[in-house]
Amino acid sequence: MLRHYICQSFAQAVNLSAEEIFEKDLTLSEIIAISDKLQNSIDLMESFARVANSLKKEYGIQVRLPALSLDTAISEVLEIFLEEAAITSAA
Amino acid sequence: MPTLSLQIPRADIVSQLYPLLANQTCNLVELTWEQHLFHEQRSWSAVSLLQSVNLDALSPIDKANIWNAGRAELTTKPGADRLAHLADAECRRWQDTNPALASVLQACSTWSRYWNEEESFHETTLNHLAHQLGFEPVSDESFLEFRKIFPNDDMLRTLVLLAISEITAMVNYSTCAQLAQDPGLRKLFKQIASDEAQHLSYFISFAKALVDSGEYSPKGAFAITHFFLREDGELQGSQRQKKEQRNTHVNWWDALEYDWDQVPNNLARKQGIIFSVLRQITGIAVHSVNEVEQTWMDLVGC
Repeated sequence: MLRHYICQSFAQAVNLSAEEIFEKDLTLSEIIAISDKLQNSIDLMESFARVANSLKKEYGIQVRLPALSLDTAISEVLEIFLEEAAITSAA
Repeated sequence: MPTLSLQIPRADIVSQLYPLLANQTCNLVELTWEQHLFHEQRSWSAVSLLQSVNLDALSPIDKANIWNAGRAELTTKPGADRLAHLADAECRRWQDTNPALASVLQACSTWSRYWNEEESFHETTLNHLAHQLGFEPVSDESFLEFRKIFPNDDMLRTLVLLAISEITAMVNYSTCAQLAQDPGLRKLFKQIASDEAQHLSYFISFAKALVDSGEYSPKGAFAITHFFLREDGELQGSQRQKKEQRNTHVNWWDALEYDWDQVPNNLARKQGIIFSVLRQITGIAVHSVNEVEQTWMDLVGC
C-alpha cells in the first residue's frame, strides 16, 4: 500500500503516469527529460520533498532525502524511501 | 566639482534595492553610475601585481592553488554571459506587471558586464602566473569545456547559486592568502578574495530585491542552499563521493584537483556565511543544515 502511495505521489508531483515511470524503471535524468514540470535536478529534489511531506502528513512517516546521481533508477529511489519509512515506523 | 556618488548609502543600495526602485528614489541611470563608480574605484593592475610575486618563493601548495584557481576562473565568463541573458529575459517578463522588478533585473543584467570584466582579471592573471611557473597550459579542449554556458534556471535560484559560488571562492582565496608566504602572492590572493566578497554583496542585493518584490518565493533560495549543504552536497565539491557526470557545463568546485589532506576545505566557515546570506536574502534565520532542510521542506509543502 505504501509502495503504491509513494509511486502515485511522485507521479503526480512530476505530472507523469506511475506506469510510465515505474514500469519502465526510468532513471532520474530520463524523468527530468520527459516531465514538463521538471527543468533540472533542483526541481526533481522538490518533487521528492513533496512525496516526503505527503508521507509525513498521511502516515506520520519521516523520510530523509538522499543525494542521488541522475543515473539512479527510480526503483532504487523507491526502495530507499521504503527503507527509510520502515526505519521510522519501527522507531 | 560634481557629486560623484548618489546621496544614498551604499549599504542601502545593497539592502533596499527593490524599495529604492519601487519608490522611484533612484533610477537605472543613477544605479548604473554607482555600479561603474564602485567598479572603477576597486580596479587594480594585473601586471603590477604579477610583477610583485617572487616565483622562486612559492611552495608546492601555492602552485597547486594558482593552477586550480586559474582553471576554475575559466567558468566565470559563461556564468556572467548567462546572467546577462537570463536577467534581461526576466526583465522583459515583468516589464508590464512589475516595472520596479523589471528595473532590478535590468540592473542585474547591466552589472554582469562589470562582474565579467573583474573575473577576467582573476582568470588571466592566475593562468598567466601558472604559465610563468612552468605548468602545461590548459588545453584548448579543456578551455572550450570550461566555457560551456550553464543551462538556464529560475532567476532567484540562479542568483543564490552564484552567491554560494562566490562564498566558496572568497573563503578559498582567503585560505590561499593565509597559506602564501610570499607577500606578492598573498596580496594577489587577498585582492581576488576582496573582489569575490564584493560580487557576493551584489548577488545578495539582487536576490533580496527579487524576494522583496513578492514575486519570488524564498523556497528557491532554500532549495539551492539545501542542494549545496545536504549530505554529500555540492559544497563538498570534488571531495564528494558521487559527482554528477554532465556534458552541459562545468561547475568549477567539482573540477578542483588537490591532495585534500594538505588543503583545508573550511566547510564550517562556508556554512556559517551561507546561513547569514540566506537570512539577508529571505529574512528567515537558520543556524544548521537540518534547519535549512526543514525550512525548505515546509516551503515546498505537499
